[in-house]
Amino acid sequence: MIKYFVPKSLKEATEILSQNDCYILAGGTDLMVQKHRSASLLPTFEKDVLFTNEIKELDYIKVDKEGVHVGSVTKYEKMLKSAQIPDIFRKTIEQIASPGIRNMATMAGNIGNASPAGDTLVPLNVFDAYLVLSSTRGERKVLVSDYIIGVRKTIREKDEIIKEIVIPNLDLEFDYEKVGSRKAESISKVSFLGAYKLEGNIIKDFRVAFGSVSIKVVRDKEVEKKYIGLTKEEFINRKEEIVSDYSKLISPITDHRSTKEYRQKVACNLLSRFIDNIK
Amino acid sequence: MKINFVLNHKPIELDVNPTRRLLDVLREDLHLTGTKEGCGEGECGACTVLVDDKPYNSCLTPVLNVQDKEVLTIEGFREMKEYRIIADAFADMGGSQCGFCTPGMILVSYALLKNNPHPTDEEIRFALSGNICRCTGYQAIVNAVKVASEKGVKL
Repeated sequence: MIKYFVPKSLKEATEILSQNDCYILAGGTDLMVQKHRSASLLPTFEKDVLFTNEIKELDYIKVDKEGVHVGSVTKYEKMLKSAQIPDIFRKTIEQIASPGIRNMATMAGNIGNASPAGDTLVPLNVFDAYLVLSSTRGERKVLVSDYIIGVRKTIREKDEIIKEIVIPNLDLEFDYEKVGSRKAESISKVSFLGAYKLEGNIIKDFRVAFGSVSIKVVRDKEVEKKYIGLTKEEFINRKEEIVSDYSKLISPITDHRSTKEYRQKVACNLLSRFIDNIK
Repeated sequence: MKINFVLNHKPIELDVNPTRRLLDVLREDLHLTGTKEGCGEGECGACTVLVDDKPYNSCLTPVLNVQDKEVLTIEGFREMKEYRIIADAFADMGGSQCGFCTPGMILVSYALLKNNPHPTDEEIRFALSGNICRCTGYQAIVNAVKVASEKGVKL
């Protein structure tokens, strides 16, 4: 017999999770699709379900010296309208699904779902954003990039729940591109975020992440380090080498949305264009 | 599980499985068939209802998530004075052909005009971006929203 829980506080939620193995259901925009059978039939949840809808204390956006804290129950639409959310995140969110879905969906839900095509996972990686996971045992902080380990696989322990996402402050120039088949409601074929900081003529920071081209977001700090500290001219002259480095890191697949050849080519072209546009 | 919300301006209490789709509760349990099921996975917007004046895809909404909220379907909107202005604008401009997307389109248009009485073309298209129409090619719908806006849906 499947049990349904509707906790009203984080404390109550962690107590339930310490005793029960649950699906954690926020807006439902991922899980309700995955568990749907057909019209008028109940979705098939094969284990207990914990709804986050009534945990009002986790509906917040706060800023402090660490960065922006987004409570896990906060809807995308609220983030999109908040001046406290970094512009590059709002640009990404604006291209996710549709207004109706953004009214329901949460970023924590997309992180928990761990889809290779989750659009906000790309900037979350570039910002080194981290999660605060809460349980009756206490709290721990985990980088989003470490939390997701594969397609729909995370390191969440059964008794843990995402309390909040922390987006550290980051002052860089950004170039984001989502490639999909239409403007709205599109699941990415490829997504790309490049970021850099120039001080004088020196590349002081350089970060790149790709979505939808591997089992999880591709970012490699070792590759980034190779190119940080170069002059702008040196950096641009090594464009072919940079593109080649990343070309080896990505391993796209062919599915109903696109082909591996297309994804490989477009991902490299987006990186190439990003380097060309560095001013 | 007992779930309470306001449906079309009237409080309602249901004893229902909390994971049941709001769409099925409306159509199957309450016989409000104005809300349509298209794709069933959040791509088409035919199932759009307003929850606290915001568009929601009812095919992805577990009914528990409307607890204590106000749900408005096309049947409820039909009783409101703003309905006539928007529905007439759709009829006059050819914004509805087969009609399957129309309940969703009209509710989304209402939600838009309520917040933004004089939207630009771009704002209209952005607001309607989650609703697919296979008949009109969209321009007629955008025109209808503009006409409704000009007629001053004082929303």
